Amino acid sequence: MSWTVGVDVGGTFTDFFAHNEKSGQVHLAKRPSTPDDPGRAILQGLDELAAQAHIDLASVSRFSHGTTVATNALIQRRGADLALITTKGFRDLLEIGRQTRPHMYNLQLDFPPPLVPRARRFEVDERMTAQGQALRGVNEAELEEVIGHLQDSGVRACAVCFLFAFLNPAHEQQVARRLKEALPDLQVSLSSAVQPEFREYERFTTTAINAYLQPAVGQYLHQLERSLAEALPQASLGINQSSGGLMSPRRAAQVPVRTALSGPAAGVVGAVHVAKTSGKANVITLDVGGTSADVALIRNYQAAISFERRVADFPIRLPMVDIHTIGAGGGSIAWFDRDGLMKVGPLSAGAVPGPACYGRGGTEPTVSDANLILGRLSPQLVDGSMTLNVELAKQALQPTAERLGLDLLQTAYGMLGIMVANMVRAIRTISVERGHDPRGYCLMPFGGAGPLHARDVAVSLGISEILLPAAPGIVCAQGLVVSDLLEDFVASQRLPLAAESLRSIQDSVADLLDRADNWFVAEGIPEQSRQLSLRLDLRYVGQNFELSVPVAEGQSVSLDVLADLERLKTAFFDAHDAAYGYHNPADPIEVINCRLTARGGLYRTDGAGTDPEDRQSPDALSVRQVFFDPSRSVETKVYNRAELRPGDRLVGPAIIEQLDSTTPLYPGDEALVDPAGNILISIREEL
Amino acid sequence: MVKEPHIAALDPIGLEILSNSLLSIADEAFVALMKSAYSTNIKERNDHSTAIMDPAGRLIVQAAQSLPIHIASMSGLMESLLAKYPLEEINEGDLFVANDPHVAGGTHLPDINMAAPLFFEGRVIAFICNIAHHADVGGMAPGSMAGGMSEIYQEGLRIPVVRLFSGGTLQQDLFDVLLLNVRVPEERRGDYFAQIAACRLGQRRLGEVIAEQGLARVEAAFDQIVQRSEGRLRQAISALPDGCYDFTDYMDDDGLGTPDIPICLTVQVKGDCIHFDFAGTSPQVPGNINVTLNATLASVCYGMKALLDPDIPNNQGILNVAELSVPKGTLLDAAFPAPVAARAHTCQRVVDVVFGALASCLPDRVVAAANGANTTAVFAGVDPRHGGAYVYLETLGGGMGARAAKDGKDGVQVNITNTSNLPVEAIEMEYPLMVEEYSLIQDSGGAGRHRGGMGLRRVVRPVDHDCLFNGAGERFSHRPWGLWGGEPGGHGQFLLREESGEGRRLDNKPSSIVVTPDQTIVVETPGAGGYGAPDERAPEAVADDRQSGKFSKSFLRANYGV
Repeated sequence: MSWTVGVDVGGTFTDFFAHNEKSGQVHLAKRPSTPDDPGRAILQGLDELAAQAHIDLASVSRFSHGTTVATNALIQRRGADLALITTKGFRDLLEIGRQTRPHMYNLQLDFPPPLVPRARRFEVDERMTAQGQALRGVNEAELEEVIGHLQDSGVRACAVCFLFAFLNPAHEQQVARRLKEALPDLQVSLSSAVQPEFREYERFTTTAINAYLQPAVGQYLHQLERSLAEALPQASLGINQSSGGLMSPRRAAQVPVRTALSGPAAGVVGAVHVAKTSGKANVITLDVGGTSADVALIRNYQAAISFERRVADFPIRLPMVDIHTIGAGGGSIAWFDRDGLMKVGPLSAGAVPGPACYGRGGTEPTVSDANLILGRLSPQLVDGSMTLNVELAKQALQPTAERLGLDLLQTAYGMLGIMVANMVRAIRTISVERGHDPRGYCLMPFGGAGPLHARDVAVSLGISEILLPAAPGIVCAQGLVVSDLLEDFVASQRLPLAAESLRSIQDSVADLLDRADNWFVAEGIPEQSRQLSLRLDLRYVGQNFELSVPVAEGQSVSLDVLADLERLKTAFFDAHDAAYGYHNPADPIEVINCRLTARGGLYRTDGAGTDPEDRQSPDALSVRQVFFDPSRSVETKVYNRAELRPGDRLVGPAIIEQLDSTTPLYPGDEALVDPAGNILISIREEL
Repeated sequence: MVKEPHIAALDPIGLEILSNSLLSIADEAFVALMKSAYSTNIKERNDHSTAIMDPAGRLIVQAAQSLPIHIASMSGLMESLLAKYPLEEINEGDLFVANDPHVAGGTHLPDINMAAPLFFEGRVIAFICNIAHHADVGGMAPGSMAGGMSEIYQEGLRIPVVRLFSGGTLQQDLFDVLLLNVRVPEERRGDYFAQIAACRLGQRRLGEVIAEQGLARVEAAFDQIVQRSEGRLRQAISALPDGCYDFTDYMDDDGLGTPDIPICLTVQVKGDCIHFDFAGTSPQVPGNINVTLNATLASVCYGMKALLDPDIPNNQGILNVAELSVPKGTLLDAAFPAPVAARAHTCQRVVDVVFGALASCLPDRVVAAANGANTTAVFAGVDPRHGGAYVYLETLGGGMGARAAKDGKDGVQVNITNTSNLPVEAIEMEYPLMVEEYSLIQDSGGAGRHRGGMGLRRVVRPVDHDCLFNGAGERFSHRPWGLWGGEPGGHGQFLLREESGEGRRLDNKPSSIVVTPDQTIVVETPGAGGYGAPDERAPEAVADDRQSGKFSKSFLRANYGV
């Protein structure tokens, strides 16, 4: 009963990471994804794990899952037909949004149309005040009329979104009860339940997206649970949320909007884990796949969280790992803009036809082709499963080189330079522009193409260390295995941060603590594995945006911290300094939300790494010519990652190859395999 | 690795990477300024811009989020600066400040401009510049934006181009004068320091890039960035048929009794040149909707870029292409002492006029007239809950014009502005007001093959007190026009509605209207014009208009005969 399996379903591959808590054994697997029925690849992969690694599936105790079902439903707009019931006078609110356009100059670009067409947005007379008091009750005659319309329209899901429902959910709940009576099959999402926070548009749209996703995600999870009940009879299931923690399938079916960034968030959780095993507290992640690159910042082993972002162009206001994505990957295509400047991406050759060198019919010059020409990518994958065609890569780059008047090597080198410049800009956005100096961070590349570009990115940012995970291609699946169970609780109420309201704040938090306790019990989390963290969203009176300020953290949280006004103020001042560079000690402050995050630790490990072996330096697999700069190639030894052991030390030039990625070690750079099996690369001081 | 001096001509790859780092500098300064400023305008509506200019006063890069209106005031400032201070008189550690539209290239007084020279090896290599809209610059009314004033002196403190720092030393005497003349000086001091810090940050970063890349490459990049954008835009112009294209539109009024104010434009396209001649435009007016030449240039550039190449980088290359003739002393090149605070209304309309003129030239890309305004609603009073004064100001979007391939957008900000609304829940928590409706206005989108966007309605009631309402509306009299047979969109209006439901229409630019708790103010913004004849509208689209309820049966019958 000691195996835990993490399964990350991506667009191209479904990755598996199996970990035995007792023996510390680890097994990896990869299967092509089956987008029409993602569960098929999962079951096939589990069978494969069982066969190859001799894992008795009946002994798997936990199954953690990162899914793109919600993301894809949003991108492809394949969610449910749904309706909206809202406060009289406000049915257009979902469509008006923030009255902005997606691009200042482009007259043809639009935000996607709202998920609920106007004809299915219904108004009911009711009103709560800004103090959360009912000014007018729900007009029942109007509600009955709306129910008639819902019946006629045959919708499967309905969002109920009233003004100020985050202060007083009574009217939304009353409507929900009546809907359940009248239309028992209808799936209902309440704004007061999905995201009980201030600001109606963000709350309404998040709730509508939730309703939109409910049938598709619910059906998928139901099916998966059924299949897994057979395949993994003893396993408990966890679904990864965008904020980087697990929830039960039952909860995920209620709030599917929380899985919109399930996969990428798992990558960051995996990165935090890798960082811990190597003792690197501050890390910038660079996850590069075929079409895109995700970057995120980890400080003191904690991933930065953002509270609002767009997914497939839809704004979602929920805690999510702060990931910045750009269109830069191995398949990114080089092209010329109208001013004659060369660009790389965001257009990608994708999996089909793929880069020219794959020999599957691609003819455009891609980043992978450039890497192959420079000798950084091997013409043959480590296990010989796939060969890359250098001639096809050269043919693809030839027209670009001619247009630039450069040779193929310079062209290839230039393409990588532009790709790196784009990644550097993305990292500056999440670091420098948020007040963090990247020079104090370690760069952690993963994904198939991350390690290929990490060195150039690091140098451009003044970063001197690169941490290469033991299995860069499978960090997401690994993240799922080490994830905690997580639930966020929020109480939204606007109060001055002053002595007279501390009591009300304490009451709100006490209520949150009760809810968290109930959740811990319901999920069966033992006391020693519980972790709480309390934050207040604070702002100066008159500001429109608040800062989320950490107040207390630990196995339990005492209300006493909320009795010390000066301490709370100081915490706000510190946060304001960090974000804006100043604070005003005398200005009035107000509380907008109290947030409590509850975590239940699931992952157990003996924690011991492998002791360094005392042995001769490892043998090279082969030798090939590699261009670290376009002027000349260097004879470079190629090493198989699988044969490197903790304590091994390499000095560049070298190439480290493994099944799922390739890492160039630049001349003079030093690589050390650490006890956890990760490789720490120290970049040689620039002269 | 020893850095090789790559003096050789910058290839398109090196240039792409270098312009990327220059843009990063402007972006980083933009964020730094936003975070450290005090004014709500800067922090939350991003009414600020950052840029790098060269010693000849050319705009090299502007931060990606910069505002269109600021593109020309940056070069306006540099022009005034270089005319007053030759390069040899500028010293390391100097920092210049200015805001005046009439003598310092500005567009209205609340926009404070700054420029700091970057020296390398004893020579000025570039200026790091920024502009920020301060919450107040003095003058008759708080906020320095109110209507009803007839000369620039009433609008606030006028600052010519002067040194705020000289050789690295803050000119405290001058700073004291600047701060004494504005409301809430402690906050404005914070805004000034935020701008100064952003200049310093830009200087440091550009210094790093020069150290890394070499001066020769950076200076070569300055030239190439400008040349390539200019070339790219000229190429787009070459594709237009040569000819003269003209258009006239009318502003409703100036708020001081001048109605129907014409803006006339003749565009001449010849080869890769384009000339905008505003002869025939109204003389400047007593009210504050006048525009100085730089703001007119910025609006023309917006229109040109949006139609021809929305993704082109913002730099001098674009300004070089737009040749402008505007008679001095007119609405669009107002002479001293014209008031200009509300220039945004007119700038919005200039963009519509550019679209109108180029419609026959670019039928596939042009859009019909938008709400072409910056509808402003201001509620003020004393909050009965605690006795404190409050002012709630908001600018509302409206319809965006119909396009060749699709309908216009409903309820959005258009042209040179893209600021967001204030949430209903924020308004009601903050102010003693209740929002009773926020909706799209039925039948406000002009009919056509593709219909115009719809205007917005907001209904606001004071709670437990009387409040004062001020407003500024445009396209309340002159409806947004359609193209190729498309119908005009609905006009906007301000109404004072009684409990009985009966509404009285207010002036287009009403001031000090008393509203009681049993009355509501109804703000209705203009819709937008349609594109193509209504009888060409696809039956499915008409069916959708009906089903969505966005258009009434009678409207559909009258326009589409169904």
